[in-house]
Amino acid sequence: MVPVQYNARSLWVRKVTTFATAFGIALVVFVFAGALMLGDVSRVLAAAGRPDNVIILRKGSDAELTSAIANDYLGLFRGPAQVSQATGLIGEIIVVVIADHMDGSGSSNVLVRGTPAEGLAFRPEIKIVSGRAPKPGTNEVMVGTGIAGRFKGLLQGQTIDLRRNRPLMVVGEFSADGGGYESEVWGDLDYVRNALGRQAVVSSARVRLNNPAEFDAYRQLIETDKRFSMKVMRESDYYEKQSAQTASFLKMLGLVVAILFSLAAMIGAAITMNGAVANRTREIGTLRALGFSRLAILTSFLLEALFLAAIGGVLGSALVLVLTVFVSFPVINFQTFSEIVIRFHATPAVFVKALIFSGVMGLVGGLFPAIRASRVSPIEAMRS
Amino acid sequence: MNLATYARRNLFRRRGRTILTVVAVSLAVLIFCAIRTFIVAWNSGADDAAVDRIATRHKVSITMQLPKKYIDELRAVPGVKIATWANWFGAKDPKARIPFFAGIAVDHNSWFDVQTDLVVPPDQLATWKQTANGAILGDNLAKALDVQVGSRLVINSDIYPGDWDFTVVGIYTPGSATADRNTMFFRWDYLNNDPRSVYSREHLGWMVSRITDPGRGPEISRAIDAKFDSQDDQTVTMSERAFALSFLGGFAAVLSAFNIVSLVILLIMTLILANTLAMSVRERTHEYGVLRAIGFPPGHIFGFILGESLLVALVGGVHGVAIDFLLINHGLGPMMAATMSGAFQHFFTPGWVLAVALGAAALLGLVAGAIPAYLASRLKVTDALRRLD
Repeated sequence: MVPVQYNARSLWVRKVTTFATAFGIALVVFVFAGALMLGDVSRVLAAAGRPDNVIILRKGSDAELTSAIANDYLGLFRGPAQVSQATGLIGEIIVVVIADHMDGSGSSNVLVRGTPAEGLAFRPEIKIVSGRAPKPGTNEVMVGTGIAGRFKGLLQGQTIDLRRNRPLMVVGEFSADGGGYESEVWGDLDYVRNALGRQAVVSSARVRLNNPAEFDAYRQLIETDKRFSMKVMRESDYYEKQSAQTASFLKMLGLVVAILFSLAAMIGAAITMNGAVANRTREIGTLRALGFSRLAILTSFLLEALFLAAIGGVLGSALVLVLTVFVSFPVINFQTFSEIVIRFHATPAVFVKALIFSGVMGLVGGLFPAIRASRVSPIEAMRS
Repeated sequence: MNLATYARRNLFRRRGRTILTVVAVSLAVLIFCAIRTFIVAWNSGADDAAVDRIATRHKVSITMQLPKKYIDELRAVPGVKIATWANWFGAKDPKARIPFFAGIAVDHNSWFDVQTDLVVPPDQLATWKQTANGAILGDNLAKALDVQVGSRLVINSDIYPGDWDFTVVGIYTPGSATADRNTMFFRWDYLNNDPRSVYSREHLGWMVSRITDPGRGPEISRAIDAKFDSQDDQTVTMSERAFALSFLGGFAAVLSAFNIVSLVILLIMTLILANTLAMSVRERTHEYGVLRAIGFPPGHIFGFILGESLLVALVGGVHGVAIDFLLINHGLGPMMAATMSGAFQHFFTPGWVLAVALGAAALLGLVAGAIPAYLASRLKVTDALRRLD
């Protein structure tokens, strides 16, 4: 086998060419990893769901926003033995309001959740990161970290109108373990629904079960109850379903783009490797004359292409790191038309996939030049 | 042998490399055009909106409704020629032939007078006014749901429970190239008279007005909002285009990501071109030394290299644009319009995108060639002659 240093030094000698090609590959890896991370929307949102939490919506509604449940039913949902009486049940109201972006780039829908006093205790993952929690029964609200600072009127101390003379006042900011709640504004249940003139209803009910395994029994009980027509889902399933459409759409789009880009990058790698083979015909001939086999030459040039791609892969991964640190990405939830802010989250799996992807680009791009190199006849090469 | 011949022969000295570079450039241009087409197609829903139409909605939220009497007050605002209203119904086919479509309850007496780019035969409109549960569907939607005039159609809503029974009384066709063809309109009074619409009784979702003078849109919009400002439900009025965009507000980020990505492919293309040029120039350094030694000025060397880069970029660009034109405007576009109901009705690359792509290819060809050309032209004759590789 031809020593690996030979390839490494050859790449170093042609610094400019090596860098230009590797940078092209890096850009493709960057797009590829970005698409992979966008596909994680589901995971981000599902993180808000607990397996022992159940969400109840009106049958026919796919989202909390379009659901409505009469107050009287809430007691009936709480009754069954499967429900944990310690944490019990909360009914909440959901509304989207339009808010202007801080940077003046138009406006988006923001989801406002009116939650009862028990709403915070029901979700231990909620943590106040600045300011304080809103006082129950008042017009105070807190803003999720995902959207804090993105909208006018949603900074602490500011107000946003829910209706004429019904302002919501921001007193704090909260986090929710990276879940979808972080893109919401939370206020008081009664204040919000009075402002909307919908005192007698909630949008959704959430129930804590004693044991996640009792879900099917509970669901059976509620869904077959003739007094009401409800849909019962695990909270985690609900969140996954909410974002599945957006996530798969973005991921598919991103991957199609990345694969098309990779074609260009592979041609770039092929041009570079072809040039390398052409310029080093004499060297290859010498190596062959020294007794290296065709296979050794082939392997050597494939390795060189792989190195080239690996440089690109590493450069691209560095770009991805920059992305995860500085960029958060707002996407729309098709079900509520409201904005969810995703933070790019690079798992080791993303980097591994990115490196494999760059390696494939290098191998495919370098294959034909390497075959060409292996076919060089030592006698003719030495004569040229 | 003159200069042009020399340049031409240079191009084919490394035929494989030149061809690969041209392929890479045309691929990049093709991808650029395709991404741009996607962005244009995404926005086309908003582009349909005529400039003489303005929409009025609840100031706080698209899900909040306005009292029905607002339409009369709106109609009294000077500058409003004609106005109508609508309520969002949302629609799901219980047989799930298509996932979800726009179902809208509208005022049957005025809706199609305002939405003039949706064409309904007069006799069908007349039937609609006689049929309480009558619905008028876009031609694409009717095809997807497999219904004709006279068919019975049962639809579910995300908002209103249960089955809703309609009779298809009409099919509308688009009056302009970009008009929507996938919406179902039915009578607002049918919704309002049903006990299931208790939460929106005598309320309307939004109002659309045609105005007398398109130039006065902003002024009339302000007058409308001022009229409702002192009431409990305030409004915000905007062009119909802005209204359509407000539903997709959250998608602005995806589109800007695609904007950036379309520039990334151009950058990749420039890198490939620059690499090819740099490799060629390095191989020919010795020759450039000879040319300089026999009296060619540096400007000529510069011109040779820049010209070569421009030529490769242009040939690639023309191919990319041509393939895009054939592939998207004559293949994929019509196919998507026919098969994907709604999502991408107008998937066509506009001429200006093709022109921009070609221009960008030429410009980046010059950029990619500039540095190698400059360095080669500045080389000392003696240095160039000494270089052998």
